[in-house]
Amino acid sequence: MKRQSHRIDELLDSVTADMLAGGQPQFTDTGLRVERLLLEMVRPDPIQPRRVLPEHLHFDFHAGRMTPTQALRGLVQLVQVSARQRGRPFSNVLELLPNPDDDAPDDADVLLSPEEQLLHDLVNLAVTIRDDGQVNPLTVVDVSHGVVQQFRIETGERRYWASWLLRDFIPNYSGDGMIPCIVIPTENTSVFRQARENTARSGLSAVAMARQAALLLLTVHGYEIPDGAVTNEFYRQALDLDLRTKREFSEVILTAMGGMKRAYFSQTKNLLRLSDDALELADRHNIEEFKLRHVLSLAPEYHAEVVRQIIDHNLSSKQVKELCEANDMSDNNDEFLEKLPALAVKMARLTQTVTAMSANDVARALIRQEGDADIAYARLQALQRVISEALQVLSAK
Amino acid sequence: MTRVFVFTNHKGGVGKSTSATNTAYGIVSMLRHAGAPNPRVLLIDTDSQAHATLVTTGTKDYGADNSLYTVLMADRQNAAQTLLRSIVPSTWDADLHVLPASTMLEGAERELNGLAGAPYRLADPLNQIANRYAAIVIDTRPSFSLMTEMGLITATDAIVPVEPRYLETVGLMSVIGKINEIRDGWRQPNLRVSGILVTKMNTRVRGHKYLLDELKAHSVLGPLLLGVVPVNEAISYAHQCHQSIFTYDPNAPASKAYMAVIAKLVHSLVPGGAA
Repeated sequence: MKRQSHRIDELLDSVTADMLAGGQPQFTDTGLRVERLLLEMVRPDPIQPRRVLPEHLHFDFHAGRMTPTQALRGLVQLVQVSARQRGRPFSNVLELLPNPDDDAPDDADVLLSPEEQLLHDLVNLAVTIRDDGQVNPLTVVDVSHGVVQQFRIETGERRYWASWLLRDFIPNYSGDGMIPCIVIPTENTSVFRQARENTARSGLSAVAMARQAALLLLTVHGYEIPDGAVTNEFYRQALDLDLRTKREFSEVILTAMGGMKRAYFSQTKNLLRLSDDALELADRHNIEEFKLRHVLSLAPEYHAEVVRQIIDHNLSSKQVKELCEANDMSDNNDEFLEKLPALAVKMARLTQTVTAMSANDVARALIRQEGDADIAYARLQALQRVISEALQVLSAK
Repeated sequence: MTRVFVFTNHKGGVGKSTSATNTAYGIVSMLRHAGAPNPRVLLIDTDSQAHATLVTTGTKDYGADNSLYTVLMADRQNAAQTLLRSIVPSTWDADLHVLPASTMLEGAERELNGLAGAPYRLADPLNQIANRYAAIVIDTRPSFSLMTEMGLITATDAIVPVEPRYLETVGLMSVIGKINEIRDGWRQPNLRVSGILVTKMNTRVRGHKYLLDELKAHSVLGPLLLGVVPVNEAISYAHQCHQSIFTYDPNAPASKAYMAVIAKLVHSLVPGGAA
């Protein structure tokens, strides 16, 4: 066979410039080109740190268990349930958009769940595409192999999902199922460019930033980047890596991360220590790094619960810190507490709530407890002696 | 725009499938040899005999769910996706892809008759993926049936293979007239007759030489002459081995003749190249 191809090459060589009527043809590859591609040929990047779909749909879609239409149907159903629970049921996705003819008060103040917000944004984008066309092409990389023609999205995953939504969920679609894309030659693909594109936009969650940081570290350390969707364990491999071992890439990584400081890069990456459930919650609800960093001091089994508290009560960073430190005392110092008399521990706890009582109330409660004002007086004097001695111990320390 | 070459003639046995398959493979080889970034070529077999399918894929065992028939019968919204799924690799080259024919195409014509937009059931989905290929080559059946019309509506360039025999050459004008009729009737301004390919030429037969000279001298047909492929036993043996003529015997006279034709076609693919 090898010999045969060699013979074909000889024949091809024999096709002279004369035969080609004017010289060897020049096939200039201009590098970047915009093409209209069939939606089915385009696929989101499973490793993309910025995940558009909720996690279970993300994994089912990238594992090939769902078509794009099925994944979107899953999202719509999820939002329908959530919207019904909040008293805002809808049957058509267009109902998510405000009706310009409606005199009802603007519900811009209504707090939407992350899934509702996502679908709302996608429908908005889809309607814009329907009315004004797809002005901004996606950037894709040609990853075709054999007869399988496929393009992996580098940027523009939301526009991709909005196009599917427009095709399959919005009535009176008149398009041809194509999407304009800038096709980047495979050899020009770069995780750094993708990172720059991601970090240049607002709305990238702290967890997505952590995944992005991990992906860059893993890439420069020569880790193999899989073709399919990955779990958090893949990104957690980067917890053992840092910029110091690849100093030559430090600057380009920090620039790609939006000009991040070295220390903040490390803090961001450390968020991957959160439990899987906590990561998913924090990603969906876009919780900031300065809140999440305190959660890391807790045991992993408490991460999701605390993140839930942050979401439910909209806790500030200071509140999260206090919450975690309080939990830290009770969880991590059990051994220390066991060695102290129970009464002393009770007394110590009492000091945390001392501002909530008045002196008059304390005096009346003592009289009721002892049945005599003199005995109550003696009790307080005894307590005063203990407090004085405790103050001496503390000042000595 | 991707050029779509259709090999058509309502006369059978003139070398349509041989020319279509070898041209498709030749374009892939030449584009790759010339350093083209995308040398992929799609061969579409619209003939229910599936000869082009058989020699390029090693089998003609394609049916209702993995052939051109599947595409024609698909729901129009999903036709392009169905087309993508129905394309198979050839055994000749990784960059030569095939949309196989099936014996079911025979019945497809009856099923499609009367359906709105039936003649566009190949062109519409193909337009959506055509830009993935450097060129597309269509082999047609020996008749001006609905299937052949579909091929012509899809095409940009019609190439008419013809044997140098009296009756065939006399019928050439009617073939070209029919192609022009389809171009005007179906409003396909991009379709044109871009070449007459003389096949099975035997220079020892005086009649062949005479007819070729007549063809060259003809005011309309002469300028359309794309090339002359000599009669060559190597072609039959190549078919038998399910190989292209270039792989079977690159030094065969037919190989050299086809390569010269392909060089002209490839030149027409280059931006600014002569048609």
